[in-house]
Amino acid sequence: MIADMRETLEAVLGPISEPVLLPGGASKEAWAVDASGERLLVRRAGGGVIHRHTLTLRHEFEVLQAAHEAGVKVPRPVLYIADLDGREAFVMERLEGETIGRRIVRGPVPERLPVQMAEELAKIHALPREQLPFLEEATIDRLADELDEVAEPHPAIELGLWWLRENRPPPREPVVVHGDFRIGNLVIDDGGLVGVLDWEFAHLDDPARDLSFSLVRAWRFGADDLRLGGIGDAEGYLERYNELTGFGIRPEELDYWEVAGNVGWAIGCLTQAQRHLTGQDRSVELAILGRLGAEVEYEICHLLERQGVT
Amino acid sequence: MSERPTAEELAEAIEEFLAGEVLPTLDDHRARFRMLVALNALGIVRRELAKVPPEEEAEQRELAAQIRAGDVPAGTLARVKAHVAERLLIASPHYLERYE
Repeated sequence: MIADMRETLEAVLGPISEPVLLPGGASKEAWAVDASGERLLVRRAGGGVIHRHTLTLRHEFEVLQAAHEAGVKVPRPVLYIADLDGREAFVMERLEGETIGRRIVRGPVPERLPVQMAEELAKIHALPREQLPFLEEATIDRLADELDEVAEPHPAIELGLWWLRENRPPPREPVVVHGDFRIGNLVIDDGGLVGVLDWEFAHLDDPARDLSFSLVRAWRFGADDLRLGGIGDAEGYLERYNELTGFGIRPEELDYWEVAGNVGWAIGCLTQAQRHLTGQDRSVELAILGRLGAEVEYEICHLLERQGVT
Repeated sequence: MSERPTAEELAEAIEEFLAGEVLPTLDDHRARFRMLVALNALGIVRRELAKVPPEEEAEQRELAAQIRAGDVPAGTLARVKAHVAERLLIASPHYLERYE
């Protein structure tokens, strides 16, 4: 299988080093290869069923191209391959730096990282949507539908959904969003942000939602006191973002969308566990998320309490 | 309430992982033998768990439906939070310490 893959890759890239499968990635494979002295990464579809609301690798590649053209810090897209040993794939630059959340929050955290995150988001939210006509709009109403598909009672998630319905801020014009912008999906080195990875959840949405996703406690990797992804405060981040976009997003909107981010991830835990339970993708890591979702439910309760709900 | 995955389903997931992914990588005879014994023991745990009747979840279903309908009287959050905390004592006991 590696031999077939290598043959296809060499046909387009020239001689390459032996492809090495990198750890992690439940739904996508990542292979490290070097070609003509360049560090490359081959992102290839996994064996499992492609779940809803994620882009195909072709579309993800197009988003990456658009982001790269607009000067967003991303791995340079090299080429799309429709059939790489039976599955679609694309090749991009392999950036050097740290992506493991636990190691990043342990520090030392580059001082400019929060501001750099704001700067990249501002660029992403300015991407021309006409250039990416396949991107769909996502509303938070979709969350209730996703929960219904799991068909388990989760009153804490219901409370979160109820609060989100009751307190919705005035909607903002949807923009192109990354959809999973957080520590863990960013490459970081001593100088700060090197690149934004994992564009498969890109869609059209309220920019404040994308801006708030990195506040979700689960993505602070244990450094709970630092609201922005365990690496900093939200204030400077929000200020820099507003300065660049002129959107004037208010701190209350961050609070609102932080709850939404937690509700989304609580449901995400359940749907991931379903992949195991339905036999679509048997794995202990997916299975246990069905139980660890209780952590996220507790955080939803905690946030609502702070909003004065009793 | 019978949470998913149930204890039985979790034991099954571990069995599959150990038998399918770890056992084939063990070259040491003694480690292989002990892994097979461990898998037998885990099978006992799983079958024993299968006999435990599922807990009643009607109350949680009713509460979830009520909240969905917008019926959220004062005190609902406290009740829900206490129940989540109870589940965490099983699923992730140290997590609650992070809120102290």
